[in-house]
Amino acid sequence: MNNWKLKEIIVMSVLSVVFGIVYLAFLPIGKILVSFMGPIGYDFIFGIWFIVSIIAAYIIRKPGAAFLSETIAATVEMLLGNAMGPIIIITGIIQGLGAEAAFALTKWKRYSLWVLMLAGVGAAIFSFVWGYFRSGYAALSTPYILGMLCIRMISGAIISGLLGKAISDSLAKTGVLSSFALGKQIRKERSAS
Amino acid sequence: MTSLLNQLNPSIKAFTVILLVCLLTFVFDPFTPLVYCLFTILLTFVCGKIAWKRYMLYFLIIILLSVGMLWTTLAFADEPNRPHDTMEILFWDIPKEDVTVALALTLRMLAFASLSFMFIFTTNMVHFILSLMQQCKLSPKLAYGVLAGYRFLPLMKDELNQIRAAHQIRGVRRANGIKESIQQYKRYAIPLLAGAIRKAERTAVAMESKGFSGERQRTFYRTFTVKWQDWTFLVGMLLLFFIIIMISIKLGYFSWYKGQF
Repeated sequence: MNNWKLKEIIVMSVLSVVFGIVYLAFLPIGKILVSFMGPIGYDFIFGIWFIVSIIAAYIIRKPGAAFLSETIAATVEMLLGNAMGPIIIITGIIQGLGAEAAFALTKWKRYSLWVLMLAGVGAAIFSFVWGYFRSGYAALSTPYILGMLCIRMISGAIISGLLGKAISDSLAKTGVLSSFALGKQIRKERSAS
Repeated sequence: MTSLLNQLNPSIKAFTVILLVCLLTFVFDPFTPLVYCLFTILLTFVCGKIAWKRYMLYFLIIILLSVGMLWTTLAFADEPNRPHDTMEILFWDIPKEDVTVALALTLRMLAFASLSFMFIFTTNMVHFILSLMQQCKLSPKLAYGVLAGYRFLPLMKDELNQIRAAHQIRGVRRANGIKESIQQYKRYAIPLLAGAIRKAERTAVAMESKGFSGERQRTFYRTFTVKWQDWTFLVGMLLLFFIIIMISIKLGYFSWYKGQF
């Protein structure tokens, strides 16, 4: 925490709080999908629930950004009234660790689209293992479980990786990120070309 | 009606709830979570000062969801070990094993919800974070950052209204169809986030200029301590859990989660 600037921490917290609300807003959408398709319904949009780790890590580019932001978002989600309660903090911690693992693989040096999508997939895998034990997926049939995992990984790559990058890039274009790692990189690229 | 639950240390309360949720995860029969859930609700009603109407509403939503979950677990169940041991529900033959599993999962979810609601409805968010800082050594930088972020929520609601009004006054028409409404979301979301980031930066500067260093050695206006009541609560909740398990073993309902399904 010591090599973080205060403004980076607050920006990360604000992003987490905002996306905590987005997470909560997407729960009923997931519920509707689930009532049509069974538990697999969640997996189509599961990527939305990792998006803040990708955005925060991509903007701030420091070890722990993905993990902390997801944990805070989950905490906010709980405090605003998610039925799962404190357990959702653990869910957030695990999803955050999954995304962080992908960034750790590149030693927190590379933030290209592929790494961001990999982070989405990592979060999907971690969250699936956790869900397997906690939500009792084990009671479902094996091909169904595998289908859930595949769809969740794809959703993680596309919704959190691709969409997360798109949102961060459009934010950077407005110029508000000029004193953060992402804004600095964009400025460097511009002056080089 | 007392407010005993509201006065407990928030960190200990959260720890108790998380611990019990983890313990309940290992139980795989319908009886234990049902009884524990009922006791937790009773405790919340007797020892907590809460917003009743909201509590009822939240619980009603959870019950509806768990009925949905019951249905999906039954419909997508794995092949049972004893397929011929069936029972009939509404002209529908279902293996008994599947029903037990589905009921166990659903009631477990209700037990989780009752524990969580006990926490959420009796805990003040700011107190929780202050207590995390004082009892769990959460970094003050992070804690006050989160508090600042949380404070932004009502401000962002105002800002969203402003952006909407600004668009309207400049003649941006209402979105029609899916494609346009996605574009509209983007038109709202990016300025909203950009404004929030600017405000966050200003807040950070303001905090630092007023001498906030983020050091762990600091004093607090509101101090939280752990008293004997908190430990009693923790031990009591655990004891209740084990007593219910004993009863359920005696009655022959009990089963651990052994990865059997």
